[in-house]
Amino acid sequence: MENAGNTRLYLTARNAGLIGCTSCGRVHAARAKTCLRCGATLASRDTQSLQKVWAWWLAGVIAFVPANVYPMLKTATLGTETASTLLGGIVELLHHGSIGIAAIVFFASIVIPASKFLAIAYLALGINRPSRLTAHRRHQLYEVVEFVGRWSMIDVFVVAILTALVQLGSAASIHPGIAAVSFALSVAFTMLSAQSFDARLIWDADKDHAK
Amino acid sequence: MTPQDLPVMDLIPAKRSPWRNLSFVWLVPILALIVSLGVAWQSYSNKGTLITIVFTNAAGITPKDTTIRFRDVIIGAVEDVSFSKDMSQVEVSARINKDVAATLSPETLFWVVRPEVSARGISGLSTVLSGVYIDAAWTPIKGSDARAFEGLSETPLIRPGHEGTRVMIRSKNGTSLTPGAPVFFRGMEVGQLDTPRLSETGDSTDVEAFINAPFDKFLTTDSRFWNLAGFSVTLGPAGLDLNVASLGSLLTGGVAFENVVSGGAPVTDDTLFRLFKNEAAARDSIFTQLSANSITMSVVFGESVSGLASGAPVEFRGLRIGQVTSIGAFIMKNPAGSSVHMRALISIDPQSLGLDADAGKETTQSFIEGLISKGMRARLSTTSIFSSALKIELADIPDALPASLKLDADGTPIIPSVTSDLPDFTATAEGVLERVNKLPIEAVMNQAVSLMASIEAIATAQGTQRAPDAILGLIEDARGLIGKEDTQAIPKELRGVIVDLRSIMAELKERGAVENLSSALDSFDKASADIATASGDLPDLIVDLRAIAAKVQDLKAEELVAAVTRVMESTDALIGTEGAKSIPPALASALTEVQAALRELREGGAVENTNAALASARQAADAVAQAAKNFPDVTAQLNAVISKADALIASYGEKSTFNAETLDLLRELKIAARAVSQLARTIERNPNSLILGR
Repeated sequence: MENAGNTRLYLTARNAGLIGCTSCGRVHAARAKTCLRCGATLASRDTQSLQKVWAWWLAGVIAFVPANVYPMLKTATLGTETASTLLGGIVELLHHGSIGIAAIVFFASIVIPASKFLAIAYLALGINRPSRLTAHRRHQLYEVVEFVGRWSMIDVFVVAILTALVQLGSAASIHPGIAAVSFALSVAFTMLSAQSFDARLIWDADKDHAK
Repeated sequence: MTPQDLPVMDLIPAKRSPWRNLSFVWLVPILALIVSLGVAWQSYSNKGTLITIVFTNAAGITPKDTTIRFRDVIIGAVEDVSFSKDMSQVEVSARINKDVAATLSPETLFWVVRPEVSARGISGLSTVLSGVYIDAAWTPIKGSDARAFEGLSETPLIRPGHEGTRVMIRSKNGTSLTPGAPVFFRGMEVGQLDTPRLSETGDSTDVEAFINAPFDKFLTTDSRFWNLAGFSVTLGPAGLDLNVASLGSLLTGGVAFENVVSGGAPVTDDTLFRLFKNEAAARDSIFTQLSANSITMSVVFGESVSGLASGAPVEFRGLRIGQVTSIGAFIMKNPAGSSVHMRALISIDPQSLGLDADAGKETTQSFIEGLISKGMRARLSTTSIFSSALKIELADIPDALPASLKLDADGTPIIPSVTSDLPDFTATAEGVLERVNKLPIEAVMNQAVSLMASIEAIATAQGTQRAPDAILGLIEDARGLIGKEDTQAIPKELRGVIVDLRSIMAELKERGAVENLSSALDSFDKASADIATASGDLPDLIVDLRAIAAKVQDLKAEELVAAVTRVMESTDALIGTEGAKSIPPALASALTEVQAALRELREGGAVENTNAALASARQAADAVAQAAKNFPDVTAQLNAVISKADALIASYGEKSTFNAETLDLLRELKIAARAVSQLARTIERNPNSLILGR
């Protein structure tokens, strides 16, 4: 019990010889293969969870590179086409003095995705080696990552809406760049990565290290 | 054996291969990596080749935004703008599509397209909003490795890659040649001019003309180019001829070409053409262009050669056989002292003399020598009656002093010349009017006035009231005469004629050269009149006029007046006789009637009328005199204008509307004169009409 000061003992379903459905939450006997209520495949622990997490995570990181290197928006105004990347757009906003908006964009498009990668990597690494955070904290972190995931598409939504609205012929038109697709993919991969993570492994790891 | 007896088996499950545990999800990052690398590679490979274009200035060029276009398709974009090492030029680095860059020839033209407003229109308007772009033009080649280019400071007018023929046009004066001016063929724009530049020697202006592909087949070695300077005003015997080409060419000029003669060979690039100053000159060029073996001769004149210019025709019996090449003065040393003579160098084309085209110099010279021995002499003559321009005429002088072909100091043969008798048109016209002016119209009128006074005196005299039968008859006769229609018409006719005459004279006076000529602009059938017949007619006309004038002058007006006076005197005598005094009372009433009639006649304003008519006739005479005085001025003015417009008189020998108009004028004058002579004849035949006319 020297691990991170968490002195509380708790009983897991596995220890109790039970198995919980991750979809609907019904508890079954350990030998049950499918959920009687929702029909989902039951597994006490997803053995391939970490693999999937790392695979999706890697795909997300790979997609995040072009999302930052290539232009996000192609704005054509009166025959002049300007392509702006994420960081370029932020720098431009700063030059225009819109520090607030620049901060929001920077936070939403760079900081959050990057910290999600770090968070997922941290959680996944924490399964097999000792972690400074308690299992409870790590679980909370996981919940946050899961929750933020669905809001990460705001950038993509903005691009989609702008592209649809600003089509004024030669006067002004906006087209999505490669980065928009990459960004959307990156977010999707990150969400899948977070989803693949079997949070129950946190408890096992905690227990293993606690022994 | 129970299961308990069995030794506990150490069951070690078979180690599962790590590959079997591998999730299919790993395919996703692999795929993502492949796609990302693919995208990266694609964008790298599309990046294009870096080229450098050097401009003198980079107005409007912005890195990343300024595109490079070829045939209005974007082929690249400017990456960077920097200075050359010595800061004298701007180096523009640009990325060009790889495929396109491989075809760039070292002569590729790059220029910056900016909005441009010129006389020929507005171009590059789209760049106002989108910013400038760099346009390129080249003839594609394969496997090019040219990467550094010189940019043009202006839009090139003739771009590589266009099909057509490029020819050189040489002109003496490039003022009307503007860059980009159109080239016309039968009114169609078929090409354009490049920027004119001075030739190396500096004595002419060269301009490259580019004739677009389908039309360049019309260009042959026999094509003639001429200047289409906006509009041209030609003052000549044909009147004022105004030619306006297209509105565009009015502002920018332009040249036109046509195949004046057929059968030329096709031209190659850089063929040199001469630019004629107008279409007429271009067309004439086939006549005036001297053949290669033309010979140079000289003519020496002791008189003034004012009006003779270089290029003036040399005619032999009316046929153009050459032209004056230069005129100069030289001092001839005589035993009596030195005198200045004018020498004109002339070129004579043996072909136009009927000799072989390849006749040698000796052949031509001996031929001319033969002509001289037969009396051919050179003399100056006017090119037309209204011009002071001169030509050299080789005419057969029947009684010429014997002469032969002598050689000049520099070996040029001299054709002997005679003093010319240049017809003085001014003097002739003046003479006609002088004759008209001399007509003793006033004397006749004075006599007529005094005659009327004496008649009036007679009519009011006491004795007349008791006139004999004879008088009554006479009066009745007179009344009949008065009542006669044509008698009454005479003064009107006279007045009409005078008015006509006056208007004609006024017209003649008022028509200065310009009005005269501008009226000639009217759509007169140019083909109708021809200078040869016109000049032939005029002397005849003048002779006619002179004859009419003489006739008018010779009118026996004095005799007529004398006759009338004699009649009146005898009448007077008759009245004075005794018999007349004892008139039967029966006749008294008749006489009263006569008296009344005469009073009526007087009250009817007969005398005043006649006086007025005669006064207007006098005015007319004054007008004629005035006009006669003015006429030399008018002709002098005309002459001055014509000499000033010497350049324009090149097309002098053409169809003549002015001449036709002059002919008309003279014809009118002739008709008027005929009317005067008719009137004179009527008066001669019937002198009473003059007296009794109302």
